[in-house]
Order: sequence, then structure tokens, then C-alpha cells
Amino acid sequence: MMDFSQQTNIGFRYVTDALETDSPLGRARVTSMRFFEPGEEAELLTELSNVKLAADTLEEYSEEYSRVERILMTLKDIRRSLESLREATLSEVELFELKRFCLASVYLSEAFAKLLLKAPIKGISITPETAALDVLDPEKTRTATFFIPDSASKELLSSRKDKRAIEEKLRRAQSGGERTKLMAERSAIAAREDAEERRLRSLICEGLRPYIDDMLSCINNIASLDFTLSRAKLAAKYGACMPCLTDNEIDMAEMINPRVRDSLYSRGRAFTPVSISTPAGATVITGANMGGKSVALKTLALNALLVKAGMLPFAKRARLPLFSEIFIVSEDMEDVDRGLSSFGAEIVQFNETLAGAESASGICMILLDEFARGTNPEEGAMIVRAVTRKLNASRHICALTTHYDGVAQFASAHYEVAGLRDMDMAEVAREIASSGTEGGADIIASHMNYGLYPATGSESCPRDARNICALLSLDPSILEDIR
Amino acid sequence: MLRELISGFRSLSIIGMCKNAGKTTVLNRMIYELRSAGVRLALTSIGRDGESTDVVTGTSKPGIYIYEGTIIATASDMLAMCDITKEVLSSTGFSTPLGEVAVLRARSDGLVQLAGPSMTAQLAALTEIFESFGADMTIIDGAISRKTLCAPAVSEATVLCTGASYSRDINAVVNDTAFAAELLTLPLQTLWSREEIDSPGAPKLRFKMEDGTTRALPDSLRLADALRMREYAGVKGIFVLGAVTAALLKPVLQGGADIRNVEIAALDGSKLLFDRGIREKLAIRGARLAVAHPVRVAAITVNPVSAYGFDMDGDELLSRMKELTGLPVVNVRADGEDMII
Repeated sequence: MMDFSQQTNIGFRYVTDALETDSPLGRARVTSMRFFEPGEEAELLTELSNVKLAADTLEEYSEEYSRVERILMTLKDIRRSLESLREATLSEVELFELKRFCLASVYLSEAFAKLLLKAPIKGISITPETAALDVLDPEKTRTATFFIPDSASKELLSSRKDKRAIEEKLRRAQSGGERTKLMAERSAIAAREDAEERRLRSLICEGLRPYIDDMLSCINNIASLDFTLSRAKLAAKYGACMPCLTDNEIDMAEMINPRVRDSLYSRGRAFTPVSISTPAGATVITGANMGGKSVALKTLALNALLVKAGMLPFAKRARLPLFSEIFIVSEDMEDVDRGLSSFGAEIVQFNETLAGAESASGICMILLDEFARGTNPEEGAMIVRAVTRKLNASRHICALTTHYDGVAQFASAHYEVAGLRDMDMAEVAREIASSGTEGGADIIASHMNYGLYPATGSESCPRDARNICALLSLDPSILEDIR
Repeated sequence: MLRELISGFRSLSIIGMCKNAGKTTVLNRMIYELRSAGVRLALTSIGRDGESTDVVTGTSKPGIYIYEGTIIATASDMLAMCDITKEVLSSTGFSTPLGEVAVLRARSDGLVQLAGPSMTAQLAALTEIFESFGADMTIIDGAISRKTLCAPAVSEATVLCTGASYSRDINAVVNDTAFAAELLTLPLQTLWSREEIDSPGAPKLRFKMEDGTTRALPDSLRLADALRMREYAGVKGIFVLGAVTAALLKPVLQGGADIRNVEIAALDGSKLLFDRGIREKLAIRGARLAVAHPVRVAAITVNPVSAYGFDMDGDELLSRMKELTGLPVVNVRADGEDMII
């Protein structure tokens, strides 16, 4: 599985950080997020269709949703108290928090029941913890505070009465000496009250013990609900679709990568959605420098990983397998600490990927970004061709970006980024001239077509590099020499 | 009577010039007097206070005795040491070394130990929580030390406690207390907007120039050196984020920079960490001191009995303090019976 830095690199952590949960219970679910494995398709689809349902109905039933969310926001994480309840007697503050939780579960179950009438979310049930609540609140006052009532025991009533009598005397006491005497008496009675309260608290805890597992299961369901709502809100924000799980092919239309999209957006530019369909075997992506090949690859990795994590892919249409593993081999993700050259590290990483894919039970996704770019072009091209032949024969879904010629012929599919193909060179040159050279890269980027298209005809990679050099005013004598 | 001096404020802090200044005695008296006035009181402290033996000096200390209906906020580890009948109202999520701060209502009279939050924002939030449970007035008990002085920033008024335990020398007690009161009640600064003061990431030290522009003191320059440079000749005011220390001001005074009519401002009186000598020299050179959050000192209380055995003449202490500060001064040992339990 991808490690944390790889997850960060493809924008997965950006997405999980953007999940807005309402309670610490939901937050805990996000931090301990699990990935679905092949074989768990049915469970995954239930989760995903819940998220889709919620995303589609958030606006229409905003009243029902916000009522649920408002209750979620009041919740605290009481799991630690529940665990210590198994053995020990809880303090009054812990019992207060338990009571608040039980009360919230009553309100939440009502609010959730109303929501279910509108949006039938499956597999989550919020049961009101009334049995536990009755132990904490035998008089059924349902107040949001915790207090052991005088009526809880004869001894409590009598000690509190005695204490009050002395307090009355203390209020009227005139001399310091009298007060000191009364205080001593009072403190003996307060100790009696304290001992009795402690006994009653331990009785309450005993009464609560049979419901610990119920409450933990309730917490679990609440966490699922909160997590579902947070995923739905994010899906609604960026636009996402319900994926269709396939055996071994992908067909993804107009995927986006929120991290890249937001970063472009903040600079006043738009993200070009990525579409790609491939069967098992190798797909090659070629295209111009600065053309967004790596972004396309990361966007594909991100959306496949999102589905594996139980989130909707940010796309218009998504057909893909539930992958066993998703591998991405890229120079900008390599582990420099291993002390290998970038080329060496890439080879080692690729070996591990192959071995991992070999031993995986299901289908894997293998992505190679500009593989072997660090070596000489002649050998590099030969390596990439051989690797492509190998991957194309595998049962996994593999995609490679490359600069090298003659690779695509060994793949099942070939895409290219349009790049500067349709650009009016003279127009861009004028724009750059009027803004000065510093903004040149940005201006080129704004004219670049980042779209991914099935390659047509020509087998060789486009020759945009020289055009970019020219636009960025590379020394003319050098430029002349390139020709 | 303290009551007339403190009633009407939404929030009040009690700060001590030293240990054993009689802070808890004053607090107990306030609680007692406000009860008969029917004020619904809420109490908390900055950090821990109210233990029966002083942790620092080992002298015996009075407990805080509250009445039924009072709301308190204290750390959960302190609850076992509160002998009121307790109703838990809220758990705040503010954590302290003594556990999370909980809010309770006293369902009987009794002794409590207070250990509240020590962050200004949390204290402000706590005041809101108290009021949501129906409190009319919040009293914040400040522990001893400089940080205690952040209490005034979150309260409308403050009571300054001092006494014979501060020094064996009555002159020092009177003069230093008067100086502390003076720093707390410095006038509101006149040169900076609210936004400028609160802007996040503002430089530690900023100048306001004659033409109204703002400049930061470059890291490479000391304040004293900058003030002597032609470039900074038109400085009208200086705003210091954080502490204004003797180490900062001494070189300015020694360096002969022209600081006539320059306003030196800090966030509040607790950020001014220098002695009376420096204050006087600044005044002679024509500089003014100001703060962004002025504090009202509702009263000064004096305790003529020292924990270390050097008692003072209560009347003399009272009258000299009154004369020097012009503020209401109360002798905690004088009128009526001690409320110490």
C-alpha cells in the first residue's frame, strides 16, 4: 500500500484533511480510516451508496441534516470512560458526560429517524440509550446536568439534611470560635455524605455495566454516520459519482484532483478534468513538457485510492475494480534516505512493486511516472519498452507516462496530452513579450491544453520542448543550434 | 464594606502583590457580602488556588467557603476536595495538569478548591458559560506571579491585594503597590487602531511615525539605537507586543534619544516589567506610557498581618495607601469578623 508521503503526494491526504466531521467520534474514524479489500465489494457498495444518497439529498433535506449535525456537534468522545467503567467507579464528571451522551443518543435517534424517512441510509442504526439513561436518571427528569438526588437513599437524604442544618447555623454564627466548632461538625457530616455518594456512584456504575457494549456500538454507529455525512459534504463540494465496480478494466470520465484544482484555482486557473479508459495491461501516456502527464497519473491514483477508502471518486463516471493494491513509482516520491541514486531507487522501487503485485490476490494498479528518465535516452527508451511489454502481459492495470519514442506500440492503449498542439504560437509570444519574461511559464501554462486524448496516428512523442524554449526566450544561439 | 466597591461589574479579578496578601480572605468576604445582596456568583481561578496549606510557603491558608447556588469551575482532580453537594453542569474541554475543567453548581454551602484554566481565551469563554447558567457576576481568583496579571484582561475590574507579607518595610509595601496599581490603570493608547493591535503576525515592536505611517523595528537594530537614527526621528509612538522590560528601556534612557512626547504602549499593564525608577526616568524625559486594555482597579485591600511575623499598623498602612493611590482601600483585618474559616 502507498505510504503516507505517497498518499500526500497524490493528494489523498488533502482530501481526508478536508473531511469536515462534526464530532470527535467521526474524526477518530477518519484518522483510523480503513481500506476495503477485494471480496468486500458488497460492503463497500453499501457505504458508497449511502454517501451518494446523502450527497444528493443534502440540499433538499438540509433541515433534517442540520438537525442531526447539530446534535453530533455536542458529542464528546467518552470511549475511555466506558472502558474504565468495566473495572472502576466513575467520577461525577464522567457520569455527567455519560448522561449527556445517553441524552444525545435519544435526541439523535429521533432526528436520524426523521432523516431516514427522507433519505433511507442503510446499515446505520442509532438506538436511544434509554436503559443506561434510566440508570443515570432514575427520576427521569432528563435534565442535562448530573446530580445524585436526595431520594437516592435514606442515608444520603439524612446526611444532606444534617449538613444543611449546620450550614444554616453557620450562616447565623456570630463568633469565630462558634464558626470553627460548627465547621468541624460540618466537615464530619460532609464526609458522611461523600461516602454515601461514592457508594451510590458505584451502584450506578454497576447498573451501567450491562450496557457498556450497547453504548460502544451506538458510538460506532454515530461515528459511521458522522463519517458518512462528512464524505457526502465533500462529494457535494467537488462533484463525485457512484462508481461501478468492474473485474479488470477502468473507464474514468472527467476525474479531478481537489488539491491540484484548489491550487490552480487560487492562482486564477482552472483544472482540466482527466478521462481515461484502459483494459488490463499497459497504457502509455505521452505528451509535452508541462503538459500535466504526472497530474493525470496522480489524479487516477487518487480516485482509485478514494474508492478503496470508501469515498466517492471525484469524476463524472467511474468504472474500476476494487484494487488489491495501488502502486505508484515516481522519482518525486522516491525515498532519498536509502542513499541510492534516483535511477537506482526507481529500479528498487519498481522491483518491490512487481513483487507486491505478483503476490496480490486481486487486481493491482501500477503507475509509473517517467520511468527511467534519469538515464541516457537510448538505454532509457529500451528499458521502458521492455517494462511496457512486461506490464502489458500482466493481469494488472498499468499506466506509464514517458518521453521516449517507440513505447506505445507495446501497450494496449495510448493517450497523449494535447499540450501546445493547438496553440497559436505568435499570439502566446506576443502575450509573453508584453508581460516580460518572468510570467512566461504561467502564460504558457494558461494556453496549455491539459486534456488527455486517445493518441491519433503518430507514434512519436510531440516536439513541444523546443517551442517552450523559444517562448521562454532561451539564448537564441542555443535555440538556433537545436534546429 | 467591599460590596459597594465591586457590585455592578460583570466580572472581577482578584490579584495579589505577594503570597499571603489576604487574597482568599478578600474572596471569602466578597462571597459573604454578595450573598446578602442576592448576587448569583460564579467563581474560578487562574491555575490552582484555595488549598488549605500554602504549597509555596507552608503557612496555613483559609479555604474558600461558598453558598448554595454558586457556580464554580475547577479541575476534575479538585472535586474530591470540594465538600459542597455537587451538580455537574458542564465539562468544558479545557485541560489542565489537574484534569479537565468542569463547571458545577453548589447544591449546598461548603468549601471548594479552585483550579481553573490559565489561558485568557478559555477564561473569557468560561465567563460566557457561567452566564449561560444564570450567573450575574464572575470572580476570577488569580494565583500569585506575574501571569496572574492576565486576569485583568478578561475582567472588567480588579481588586489588588497587598499587605505586610510583601515586605518588612511599610514604604516598600505602599510604594510598590501604588506603582502596580498605576501600571494597571495606565490610560488607553491613542495611536493604534483595534485592527493594528490585534493583527496576527504583527512585529514585536512597531513605530508610529509623525506622518501616520507604521514601521517595524528591524531585527538587526536595538530600540535604543533606532531611536538615535535620523531615519526614526519622527517617531510618535512605540507599540510593544509582549513584555516591555527594563532591558529594553534602560539603553534608551542611557542613550540620550529624544523621547519627548513619545507614547510607549503595551497590551495591558501586566506586560510592563520594570521598576518605579525607570517609570520616573521615562516621565522626566517626557515619554508617556499607555496600554491597549486599561483596567479598572475597584479597590486595594491591605492585610497588615504578615505570614512571617512582621505585623504592621493597619491604620497607618490604610491611610498611606489611600493617600498615595487615591483609590478605595480596605483593611481586610479591620471591620467585622474575619470570614476566614
